[in-house]
Amino acid sequence: MTEPLLSIRDLKVEFSTRNGRVTALDGIDLDLMPGETLGIVGESGCGKSITALATMGLVPDPPGHIAGGRILFDGEDITHADAKRLRSLRGSDISMIFQEPMTSLNPVFTAGDQIAEAMMLHQSASSAEASRKAVEALRTVGIPEPERRAHSYPHELSGGMRQRVMIAMAISCRPRVLIADEPTTALDVTVQAQIFDLMRDIQREFGVAIMLITHDMGAIAEMADRVAVMYAGRIVEKGGADEVLDNPLHPYTRGLIGCIPVLGKEAGRQGRMPPLAEIPGIVPPLHLLGRGCAFADRCPLAFDRCRIESPTLEGRSHKVACFATEMEAA
Amino acid sequence: MTTGTLLDVQGLSVRFAMPRQSLLGARPTLQAVRGVSFSLRPGRTLGLVGESGSGKTTTAMAAIRLVTAWSGSVMFDGVDLLNLDPEAIRQRRRHLQVIFQDPYSSLNPRERVGVIVREPLDLMTPEMSKFDREERVRELFGLVGLRPDQMALFPHQFSGGQRQRISIARALATNPRLIVCDEPVSALDVAIQAQILNLLRRLQDDYGLSYLFISHDLGVVQFICDDVAVMYLGQIVEFADRPNLFARPRHPYTAALLSAAPSLARRKSAGYVREGAVKGDPPSPLNIPKGCAFASRCPRAQSKCREERPVLQGHVDNAVACHYPLI
Repeated sequence: MTEPLLSIRDLKVEFSTRNGRVTALDGIDLDLMPGETLGIVGESGCGKSITALATMGLVPDPPGHIAGGRILFDGEDITHADAKRLRSLRGSDISMIFQEPMTSLNPVFTAGDQIAEAMMLHQSASSAEASRKAVEALRTVGIPEPERRAHSYPHELSGGMRQRVMIAMAISCRPRVLIADEPTTALDVTVQAQIFDLMRDIQREFGVAIMLITHDMGAIAEMADRVAVMYAGRIVEKGGADEVLDNPLHPYTRGLIGCIPVLGKEAGRQGRMPPLAEIPGIVPPLHLLGRGCAFADRCPLAFDRCRIESPTLEGRSHKVACFATEMEAA
Repeated sequence: MTTGTLLDVQGLSVRFAMPRQSLLGARPTLQAVRGVSFSLRPGRTLGLVGESGSGKTTTAMAAIRLVTAWSGSVMFDGVDLLNLDPEAIRQRRRHLQVIFQDPYSSLNPRERVGVIVREPLDLMTPEMSKFDREERVRELFGLVGLRPDQMALFPHQFSGGQRQRISIARALATNPRLIVCDEPVSALDVAIQAQILNLLRRLQDDYGLSYLFISHDLGVVQFICDDVAVMYLGQIVEFADRPNLFARPRHPYTAALLSAAPSLARRKSAGYVREGAVKGDPPSPLNIPKGCAFASRCPRAQSKCREERPVLQGHVDNAVACHYPLI
């Protein structure tokens, strides 16, 4: 069996807030295999982005810090790596694309310069060579007239083009892991489709492993090989994308899938559509989490034990952290 | 006006004058909406769908005179809203309400939410006693799933979904007949989105409301709309009832939107490859191409499409603006 490229073990991240110390991530276990796409899905505030930031060594400290667990990249423990080691990892081995391409690009440098900078830093390329490679990178991500566009500033590009520039920058040093944090949330649906298709092409061509963070189950279906569902700082369900989508075990996952207005299934249906499934209530604030399962108050299957004990992930390939449904895990 | 029409929009256009590019240059004109016509029947929901910049919000806002129209007519209940004097349109506003996209910026942070919901009553129905207005606010809070004891709180004390409920209560206060819903769920998490969509539909059933529903999310539109107008660069390119639009799209742009929208049925494991994806971005509304606005991105475009602008053809319930429609 191949070794995971990125391995997160029992990761715990805490933040000091006005309401005291809160646990933003509580015992996260994740493996990212070479060349695969792992989807991480959940609502705002469930810890998806903190997982990504922790992996990049970017948890803002203070107020946050890694309180326990390990992050292994290719066998090397990078949990508490020093700034120098992290700088050499970021960009060249692990790189990241963010949600808002406008705010993550530098407005006073051209697209070409920003891509070239990464290559000069990580591959000690000469300025001329880096500029040439930047144009190549823009061509790879499907930007028309890359020679001209390399001289464009971010404000001269559309949202989709900016995200392509971000991707060009992220893959310019051929990283082995690409973390994409809601890469298409700010984009129109036709442009989102272009970006997803591009990410799939890049994965096929360069074999990069992708950690895709999203709130969209449709994006998971289209992009992911495996999926982890997060709720209130924990992973509540994990498995192959088909297993989880076709046979969701955790009541939260079932709710997430049921509450999406599904396109296509009942396209020709006459008359009213049936009401959407609802998950009552909202995600609890982290400082109000008590003992027991964090989802218990919103859960249709909750019973006494759920309010006392916190369930752990059970199962072999398809795991779930739920007392009510763990018997069904495979 | 055809019988049983609440809102009938004909030839609506909106233009914005943009800043001069040079000292003595002419001010360029942005054509945001270009001759849009549609009608909405009472108790139904008409979806305006399209990408950002397609003119869907401007169309709806011009129809209720929150944006000044350049030309066209908007018959609401037999009266042309665009010809009413300011006091007359103000009187009509109780029948025309809006729910905005961003529940954070659309509620005054300094007012208690009970006052926010009461404000339309204070302005529109001064004949009601103060006590009756308070009672009505209490009732509205119950209708949208909030507790009356929350009336004394401020907006920041609520979650995004709850704030959208407050916006809905405010829109309902004066018993309107038409509510413009401008992307009411796109700022919300999916689980909350379902709660709000179900609420909007329940309220429609109970009060016979008509919605002009703006969205870029086709899943949401399929759930809530009876009829759908697909917009591209300020024009309607396809108009159809929901079953026809989703099962038998005729305009290549509609088909592209449907194939671009993520769906649980498209699986990476099954080797899904997208068909009919569109390239590039829409053209600038400052520089609208001569022929069909979609021609530069259309997989079916031919030379006629670049020369001649297609017009919306068909009957009231099913029309398409395309020289070479799919069906």
